[in-house]
Amino acid sequence: MALKKVGVIATAQTELRPAWSDAQHIDLISSVVTSVFKGSGLTIDDVDFVIDSGSDVLDGRSISNCGFLGALGAHHKEEARVEEDGIWAAHYGVNKIASGAASVGLIVAYSKPSESQVANYWSSQVEPFYQRPVGFSQRAAGGIQAQRYLAANDVSMEDLANLVAARWAAAQENGGVQIDKLPSASDVLSAAEGAAPLTDLMFSRPMDGAVAVLLADEATARRAGADPVLITGMGSSADAHAFADRDNSRLNSLSLAAERAAASAGWSAAEADIVEVSASTAVAELMALEALGLAKPGQGKAAAQGGKVAVNNSGGALPADPLMVTGLARLVEAVRQLRQPKRYGLSSASRAVVHGANGIGMQSNCVFNLEV
Amino acid sequence: MGHHVGIVGVGQTHHARRRTDVSQAGLVREAVDRALADANLTIEEIDSVVVATGPVLFAAVNHPELWVANAIGAQGKPVMRVTSGGGAGFAGALAGYYQVAGGYSQRTLVVAYDKLSEGPLQYSISTLYDPFWGREFAVGIMGFSAAYWRARMDVLGHTEEAAAMVAAKNRNNAINNPYAHQKKAVTVDDVINSRPLCWPIKLLDVPPISDGAAAIVLANEKVAAKSTTRPAWIRGMAYCCEADNAAERSMMLSEPLALASKQVYRAAGITNPRRQFDVVEVQEPYSCFELNYYESLGLCPPGGAAELVASGATQLDGDIPVNPSGGCMGANPIGAVGVIRLIEGATQVMGRNESNQIKDAKLALVQSGGGWANLRGCAVLSA
Amino acid sequence: MYSAPETMPIELPTFHADISLPYTLTPGRAAGTFLAEVKNKRIIGSRFASGMVVAPAEDFSSVDGEEPESFVEAPQTGVLTAFTRVDGEVIGFIKLDGCDNEFPHKILADLSDLAVGQRVEAEWQDGVEESITAIKGFRLAPDAPEGAVKPAGETEEPLGSIKYALSLPYEHAYGPYYGRMFDEIRENGRVMGVRCTNADVALLPPREIDDISHKKTGTWKTCADTGTIRGCSIINMEFVGQTREPPYVYAEIVLDGASTRLIHMIEIDDVEDAKKRIKPGTRVRAIWTEGERKGSMSDIERFEVIDE
Repeated sequence: MALKKVGVIATAQTELRPAWSDAQHIDLISSVVTSVFKGSGLTIDDVDFVIDSGSDVLDGRSISNCGFLGALGAHHKEEARVEEDGIWAAHYGVNKIASGAASVGLIVAYSKPSESQVANYWSSQVEPFYQRPVGFSQRAAGGIQAQRYLAANDVSMEDLANLVAARWAAAQENGGVQIDKLPSASDVLSAAEGAAPLTDLMFSRPMDGAVAVLLADEATARRAGADPVLITGMGSSADAHAFADRDNSRLNSLSLAAERAAASAGWSAAEADIVEVSASTAVAELMALEALGLAKPGQGKAAAQGGKVAVNNSGGALPADPLMVTGLARLVEAVRQLRQPKRYGLSSASRAVVHGANGIGMQSNCVFNLEV
Repeated sequence: MGHHVGIVGVGQTHHARRRTDVSQAGLVREAVDRALADANLTIEEIDSVVVATGPVLFAAVNHPELWVANAIGAQGKPVMRVTSGGGAGFAGALAGYYQVAGGYSQRTLVVAYDKLSEGPLQYSISTLYDPFWGREFAVGIMGFSAAYWRARMDVLGHTEEAAAMVAAKNRNNAINNPYAHQKKAVTVDDVINSRPLCWPIKLLDVPPISDGAAAIVLANEKVAAKSTTRPAWIRGMAYCCEADNAAERSMMLSEPLALASKQVYRAAGITNPRRQFDVVEVQEPYSCFELNYYESLGLCPPGGAAELVASGATQLDGDIPVNPSGGCMGANPIGAVGVIRLIEGATQVMGRNESNQIKDAKLALVQSGGGWANLRGCAVLSA
Repeated sequence: MYSAPETMPIELPTFHADISLPYTLTPGRAAGTFLAEVKNKRIIGSRFASGMVVAPAEDFSSVDGEEPESFVEAPQTGVLTAFTRVDGEVIGFIKLDGCDNEFPHKILADLSDLAVGQRVEAEWQDGVEESITAIKGFRLAPDAPEGAVKPAGETEEPLGSIKYALSLPYEHAYGPYYGRMFDEIRENGRVMGVRCTNADVALLPPREIDDISHKKTGTWKTCADTGTIRGCSIINMEFVGQTREPPYVYAEIVLDGASTRLIHMIEIDDVEDAKKRIKPGTRVRAIWTEGERKGSMSDIERFEVIDE
């Protein structure tokens, strides 16, 4: 049974801003859906299906995809709403093309957390009888995870602050993220409390933005011009719902997701040139690298600085976390780096691993292995 | 090409107006236990899980898939949520179908549910309207559904009676459905004389509000035999949309359904649906929609739906029985309905339907839809 | 690679919308029993076949989904296993004596006084029922003796549902298209859309991309405040969140000069008369709300039939 290989033809991303206050969701979507075709030789008429990610709770609208179908270019096509980070929408698209049922798929993820109270987005995810009433949510999970990680490992608050400052600097260098003032490590340490012991700046920053990705079977992708970035591995896994019920010393579901992706690609993140992870806190970023196998448990600090594997050259999610978009944005960033490695200080690059997450304390994780 | 995909196990809850004995998670568990037992499998043998529900506002839990997956022992597995309003279950099954067809999994469990007793339904449905533009005048989707029906009445000369015939047929069929909770025999006159809610839609044109869950196990051709000697093979499946404010949106036919059926019929080799299908299951959120579907699915010519239902052809003993299960009129846990219709269609071609088995049924057509009546799909199932 | 929408900032405030819904959530047998028992100041847990005990009680094991064998009464003392502070409130994980799980709750102490491993005990809050917040939180109790898990004995009937409310406020951006449209309504009392591709009819509400052709839309066009009904129904029922008193007509109206429908309502006196008089094709006109216009849909109070 020869399944089709699937590649990325083109990507588009809006600037990520704390608030796109002069644009609606539909404007951000229209922007990426029109610009993703530029240079691809394809048009919306070549697209067989559209899969989109967004959140009714963030949008303030039920079945919110219905209001955006025209902008999504979905009229009279097959459309699906995956209410997860956009990397799961891409996952669905890859499956569909691999089955031979379609050639070209458009994947779109968008959100405008600035229009709502982000705390509601998180607290509404928490089981409503035991945890939600006592105020346990995303922040508390991040604080407790950090308390445990710092107690068990040779990592200091200064290390975390340095990581955050480096990621913001990388984001500024990379472009595409609105940064009014670059925080120094001491700014990070002295920022308001986010969830003890973490400061606010040690949490990922919610941002508005949209991303579009054109996927196609390998033959179509090659005809479209530039060498496609092939998706050769995918894996996903969800941990227990209650954060207190999980092994907080590791991101178990991310390890499982990465193992699955590596099994189909034939190589793991440690053998990649580029890794882009989505993490909700500075500690979670270290743990994500450990879960991907770039470092032993508790020793992600060194791996975070790069070296053999370049990590979050884009800056990752700490300076810019467009909820529902972040994982797919990692894919977009990795594709850019694979196509222009020199721009990112890499002599060459042929393999990347990208990661997206969902849920309180990154309960659910999805990993793609990419190759050129 | 991709793998063949079959439905190899099915399970649904005994739907009810209100289940006060189980949480949303417990409801999901019941349907999954039944589907796994039916497929002769344990959760360990499932590679991946798709959870489908209506909008978050129905039951106040955002990302409910990450909560309810715990209750089925899916810890560690891939879990993904697909939403599409009323068509969520069907859209979720389609996502599961491609996981298997595309080789990502050998077996995918699709579970769909809604526990509509938990929140105020019409109000939460009204939030699908643009907050700037019309939400304050919205009446769930009932207001506009009635408007569509009225337009058909005016243009086609159809009467309230045609929809009443659908309602009466489905309500009477539901009496034999062990999972239905609305099981009262009604006549066409009862429907016509029932209280108007959004005229021309009247009380008995409207399905009940239900708590319920439904699950199916999808498997590829290599592993299907472990579960059953007679899977219901999916011969084609598609789900299309039209942009909600599309200027040319027809008030008569469902264009996305016509598009989906064209694709699916081509894949499944259907050239004469009325003759070829043994049984049809459709998702009729209001009785009038079933008439629209007859036409959009090509069971009769455009405008011919009133005549088709009046001829008795879609009754249990007709040549093209539609909704032998009773459709939504027996139970309507909205997000689960797409999977329920797939189950009813699948068990017909598996020869073990529990409501009203159509003799020697080999080929079933299943329809589902959601959104603002702008997301519509169908599937062909065969023995 | 990064594309920005061509926005034309318009000085409009954001559009405030509230989604506030009441709920009755069913906790299920285990949580329903736990929540029923808090009035007796008992902490109900679940014991599984493996011997694992978790409190508060769960219907399904978080490890593998297994269902419990029986309920137990957990002690009110335990150990603080982790803690943090969010918005000034201290939240910690507690492992009750004899139980195998941890769970989050409020910690009634200053963060600076806390250490992992400290003994804690439940402090109850009078007057709260049917909620885990009947336990106000856990306070430090260094000398609390080790408690033990006991059989639950007779338990209260599980609660069938608990009341819950979700309140979600939004500040929606107008963006360049809605901004201009509502500006025109407010300032000039006119409804404007943008022309579809290659046509002199307006998309309403306006947008950058034509839904069907997926091409850029054209220039702005003023629509009339008269139009034709495309679809309508008579609302006879009442429901939560309704803004008008039934009966009235729900109408999808295409304004003259527009190509898309707008949703509004028409007042009626008599239902039978309305069935005959108001139907697809009926001509209607907007009745503007008296007083200063706000720049919103509610500046049109209703539509009424044009007697021709």
